Amino acid sequence: MVQISLPKNSKVQKGKYYKDKTGSKNIRKVNVYRWDPSSGENPRIDTYEVDMDNCPSKVLDVLNKIKNEIDPSLAYRRSCAHGVCGSCAMNMDGKNGLACTKAHSEIKGEINIYPLPHLKVLKDLIGDLNTLYKQYASVEPWLKTSKKNDNVENIQSINDRSKLDGLYECIMCACCSTSCPSYWWNGDKYLGPAVLLQAYRWIMDSRDEDRKERLKKVADELKLYRCHTIMNCTNSCPKGLNPAKAIAEIKKMLVTV
Amino acid sequence: MENKNPISPHIQVYEWHISSLVSISHRITGVINILFITLICFWVGSLFFGETEYELIQKILLSSFGKFLIISIIWSFSFQILSEIRHLFWDMGYGFDLKVSKITGLIVILGSFLITIMVYLLGKHII
Repeated sequence: MVQISLPKNSKVQKGKYYKDKTGSKNIRKVNVYRWDPSSGENPRIDTYEVDMDNCPSKVLDVLNKIKNEIDPSLAYRRSCAHGVCGSCAMNMDGKNGLACTKAHSEIKGEINIYPLPHLKVLKDLIGDLNTLYKQYASVEPWLKTSKKNDNVENIQSINDRSKLDGLYECIMCACCSTSCPSYWWNGDKYLGPAVLLQAYRWIMDSRDEDRKERLKKVADELKLYRCHTIMNCTNSCPKGLNPAKAIAEIKKMLVTV
Repeated sequence: MENKNPISPHIQVYEWHISSLVSISHRITGVINILFITLICFWVGSLFFGETEYELIQKILLSSFGKFLIISIIWSFSFQILSEIRHLFWDMGYGFDLKVSKITGLIVILGSFLITIMVYLLGKHII
């Protein structure tokens, strides 16, 4: 169901203001979405004054600085800090991306940081991605083959291998799926760009023998055709992939193959 | 337990892109066009009821509100047609590149206004 406004318990309030204590002249205001599951209160926006003279270049560095030096209660996911693991996916300056690859110099004015859109918030910037992982499991993201000899390489031609370029690089950070209005409002049924890109990755694999079944499974009014080519997914992908094109290719295959 | 968790802000904070703007406008103009087509059907239908009914609608359409209505119809139809052509190319698998989709989106927005102006000028016998 399309629900434009947030439910009562999700309305965002004004939060605390953390004044700079370092006396730095190069200050930036950082607004961060906070929600504490133990407080029973509504989410709030806390504002931090951050000393930018002693801060590395990425948004994740800003968050680390806040957590280390200003407010240790701030919770967010992070791991590799090099755009490989996809843990620190969040909404920065109104756009989804990885905090570890987004430079704060790209953002004008105050830095606004929210969790990935339209997820159940677990704490602060951490959203619940369980539905997405269940949907990912539903496309059976593994190689299905009848070949039994495990000692021989399962060879793929260079051309067949190149068909997986732009698909295998996906790190499942969920930036695309949570940027998609269709996924916001039909996320329980529509698979979303991330999962459909993965589905397409296995459909396109020349070694996979389950292509017809896979196509049949994904060909569903709600699972696939809720994609209306809004293109928010491609706009937000931090790895520069194109989920919208992958979805279109699945649609095309369904009418041509 | 789970239902107590808030939902993170979505449309409230998400930045608008040209592609998302064109997409939502495509939907809205689609609905408007259906209403307009119904209106046109009534207009044509009114011919069967004789001169007085036809003249009544003619009067409404020639008023400034009617003229505004007609210009809006022309715009929403031009927008829908251009955007639909863009969708057809997408369905064939072309135009998914970010830059290309941005340019085609701009063409749809600007083109719809351009066509509206052209149709208006043609109707006024200016060109």
